[in-house]
Amino acid sequence: MHAQDHNTTADSDIVVELAGVHKTFRQKQRSERLRDALRNILRPPIREVQALRDIDLRIRRGEIVAYAGPNGAGKSTTIKLLSGMLTPDQGSVRALGMDPVRQRVRYVQRIGVVFGQRTELWNDHPIAASFEWKRVVWDIPRPRYERMKGLVIEVLGLGEFFNSLTRELSLGQKMRAELGLALLHEPEILFLDEPTIGLDVLAKRTILGFIKELNRTERVTIMVTSHDMAELEQLAGRIVMIDRGRLAFDGPFERLRRELSDRRRLLIETPNGTAPVLHGAELMNSQPGRHEYVFDAAQVRIADLLEQASAQTQILDVETHRAPIDEVIADIYSRWRR
Amino acid sequence: MEDRRSRIEERDPPSSILYPLSSIRRLLRLWKLYALMDFMLIAADLKLGLTYYLSDAILNIAAVTGMLLLAERFAGIGAWTHDQIIFMLGYATVANGIVNLLGGYNVMMISRRVGRGQLDHTLAQPQPIWMALLTEGFMPFSSSAVLIPGIGLLAWALGRLGLAIAPGWLALLALNLLASAAIVLAFSFIWGSLAFWAPRAAEEISSSTVNMLSQLKVFPLDGLGPLLLGGLLTFLPVGFIAWYPSRALLGIDPSPWGGWLTPLMALLLALLAAGVFHKGMLHYARTGSQHYSGFGHRS
Repeated sequence: MHAQDHNTTADSDIVVELAGVHKTFRQKQRSERLRDALRNILRPPIREVQALRDIDLRIRRGEIVAYAGPNGAGKSTTIKLLSGMLTPDQGSVRALGMDPVRQRVRYVQRIGVVFGQRTELWNDHPIAASFEWKRVVWDIPRPRYERMKGLVIEVLGLGEFFNSLTRELSLGQKMRAELGLALLHEPEILFLDEPTIGLDVLAKRTILGFIKELNRTERVTIMVTSHDMAELEQLAGRIVMIDRGRLAFDGPFERLRRELSDRRRLLIETPNGTAPVLHGAELMNSQPGRHEYVFDAAQVRIADLLEQASAQTQILDVETHRAPIDEVIADIYSRWRR
Repeated sequence: MEDRRSRIEERDPPSSILYPLSSIRRLLRLWKLYALMDFMLIAADLKLGLTYYLSDAILNIAAVTGMLLLAERFAGIGAWTHDQIIFMLGYATVANGIVNLLGGYNVMMISRRVGRGQLDHTLAQPQPIWMALLTEGFMPFSSSAVLIPGIGLLAWALGRLGLAIAPGWLALLALNLLASAAIVLAFSFIWGSLAFWAPRAAEEISSSTVNMLSQLKVFPLDGLGPLLLGGLLTFLPVGFIAWYPSRALLGIDPSPWGGWLTPLMALLLALLAAGVFHKGMLHYARTGSQHYSGFGHRS
């Protein structure tokens, strides 16, 4: 599998560009043994963690890009680099034609960042106060502020708790308010780091729907990280995958499925309880008369599997469908770890 | 979208000669915002707010009461008369009030923000870091529980001392008070910057330094040996929080330039703090925050 750049894109349309980016963190290692106590203080062993290695990435204006990878792959580091919070060790990071760290003040005026595990809301104040704070600090002109406030209150359903204290809200309500807050200044790029973490299905649906709508109507460029692949597939056309700091895949979800494996499920109903043995398919689940297999459609034809099955027993019914994207990704992660 | 981008570019101020003016306007706008937020915080629950206010006032008066009683019992301490001691205690309380006025939301305890990874919140804002730190902690209503009793104490002392108060002297008093507060904040930032390199171990170092200065500031330092006194005016600049500026303002110190020594020290420490903090910020930009404590927004 190869990382693929979007080389056909016109340069003027590129809003995010990472070129040859490396980032390494140094972690002190400490032994628990008493005899190592002095060494722990004076010269603790250092472990270098390569968070990003030679990352090249370009994002066009108006794209929604899913940024995925296992824990510790380097997703949050990338978002921090693009939010002006961190500098790369090597390579260059440019967004909206600016250096996010050197031109931070001007740059952050034009982007929005939401960290699913952090909050920009003022905990002891109502949501309304956090919105007003944002208006003043971001220096948002009053008409634009009122328009955007009205929009996010309506679409994200903030009205019912707009005057409630942040600390009294549920996680879902806070996250909706957080997203609304991040959009008040109409950012051109939105970086979302696990924006739906811990949310219920309804809250997720509201937030994802709004993000898609925002991208469609305002052409806001969105880069989103999540561990929920189904959610990412629903949201983004393009997925960038990162593993141990390296870009492992960059392209549409469809190609990801095709290149990795066309993993499918096959459900066969038979009159007796024994599951037929199918070469090229793995039995996932078997109940009396109902057997579920998983197979790679790029390697094995369904017709061949059915022929094998019918040679062993009578087939009453057949169902086949694609494996959920989470299953495909879990396969990839475990392959990477091997 | 295109129009909006153009507006932002036009508004970008650093290259403009009007930048200082626009910075002052912005500072005033932000102070107004944070003052309103502070008021709303207290007014949200009046009973709770008043209880907090009253207990804070009692706590701060109690902090200087010990020295006040000693001065009362012995009709002064050393070269200081009883009323001069009251002046010094009033001065110390007002200086502390100014620190609290600007140092809310852990600006005063900067090592907490650094250690908890909360500087990311500051970096996400479209304004220089110094401006964010100078305004975010502005809490005029909460801090007045310290400031008002302090001003009362100072006014009482001035009344009893019977000084002929000229506007120039009052301006020098105000300048010294600001300088003493700046010394506390600068000292907190100098030590607090250690948290850039040792976020967990140094998370509480600012509170230790501020508390140490707060506890020692009420003692008149006369009669100490030159080595100890020198240390208390440099490495641990507690002498500039109340003792030395009070000496200078009340004319106990014969030097004609004594009134300018505390502002000079404040300037030096502020420069040192800015340098150390800047170095820490560069380190922070390279390493980021290794952990984040979810104690809510900047608290």
